[in-house]
Amino acid sequence: MYNMRLGIMLLLGLPIALFYIAKDVRAETVYNSEALHLLLGFPRPQQIAAFYEGRGFSKPMIDIIRQQCFVNVIIHNKSQDILWLDLTQWQFNTSDRLLQRLDRTYWQTRWASLNIPQPHRSTFRWTLIPRQLDLHPQEGEGGNLILPRQAKPFSLVATFVTGANKQGTPIVVRFDNLQCGVDP
Amino acid sequence: MKRVYLPIILLLSFAVNVRADIVPSPGVLTLTPQPAPALSLTDLDGHAYNLKQDRGHWVFVHFWASWCGPCRRELPTLQAMWQEMQSEGLRLVVINTAEDEDTVFSFLSSTAPALHPYMDRDGLVTEAWKPRGLPATFLVDPQGQVRYQALGGRDWHEKEYMEFLRRLTQP
Repeated sequence: MYNMRLGIMLLLGLPIALFYIAKDVRAETVYNSEALHLLLGFPRPQQIAAFYEGRGFSKPMIDIIRQQCFVNVIIHNKSQDILWLDLTQWQFNTSDRLLQRLDRTYWQTRWASLNIPQPHRSTFRWTLIPRQLDLHPQEGEGGNLILPRQAKPFSLVATFVTGANKQGTPIVVRFDNLQCGVDP
Repeated sequence: MKRVYLPIILLLSFAVNVRADIVPSPGVLTLTPQPAPALSLTDLDGHAYNLKQDRGHWVFVHFWASWCGPCRRELPTLQAMWQEMQSEGLRLVVINTAEDEDTVFSFLSSTAPALHPYMDRDGLVTEAWKPRGLPATFLVDPQGQVRYQALGGRDWHEKEYMEFLRRLTQP
């Protein structure tokens, strides 16, 4: 199906979008093709809290972290070309609204307002997936992406531009029925 | 006097530039040369280090953190590489990003005890170097220019990486 769609689109000479509807898996979901491996994990608040507590984060920080929806992203460029990770091209939606990612600027402001020590702010930043990155052939990257916590299932449409000049065939990945991790 | 030194300096400069054009191993990017960002830190005992003191040598600058999975796998290979390469002119600067002394000491003593860590206590030096992520490795040439960047982690003790580093440092 994948190859057939690709072949048809190539033949038509149209801009190509490769769609993939992922299976409904709550804890972890994966997209895998010849060019891209993308794994999304949905850690529970307890797991996330334990990770940051282990780094010595204070209770006010942990309390705020627990209230969010963490998506753990692991990405691997399997192609022989540049693949662009650009979180502004990732759209999260529930059935009735767009979910705005809580980005680095948001967290910088929030931690500053609480006078969180610089080392903890730094560690927190490094655990986030980069907002933008030109992934080189065979390069991998991982990190967290944070959404406001909500109970409804949501979808993600992530677009990856390809090629050093960004003129390559874009890869569009779609995941449905995603859910924030929930403590038992 | 200056006339005597000038050709020697030019020759040395040429030799370094030729070496910097060596094709790197897979996963190592050749960068447009640019001056290394400031790097002035202390080790676990409070002893100061400044990158400038290693001018005249290739310097392997490595950023890591104990919570980072690829860092944990890479550090023992870094140690194995270093045990062979330290006598060959390469300098190694291993920098922990934003963790405390206890964490770094207990982690490295079980993972790679021969490595000598420098502490980027607030993480600001790491930020200034703009790594793509952690772990991050940069190779700085004898003139203090950043020439290569490694993408993610790897086994630095593998033959192809050892040979690459040797090609850089060999006279």
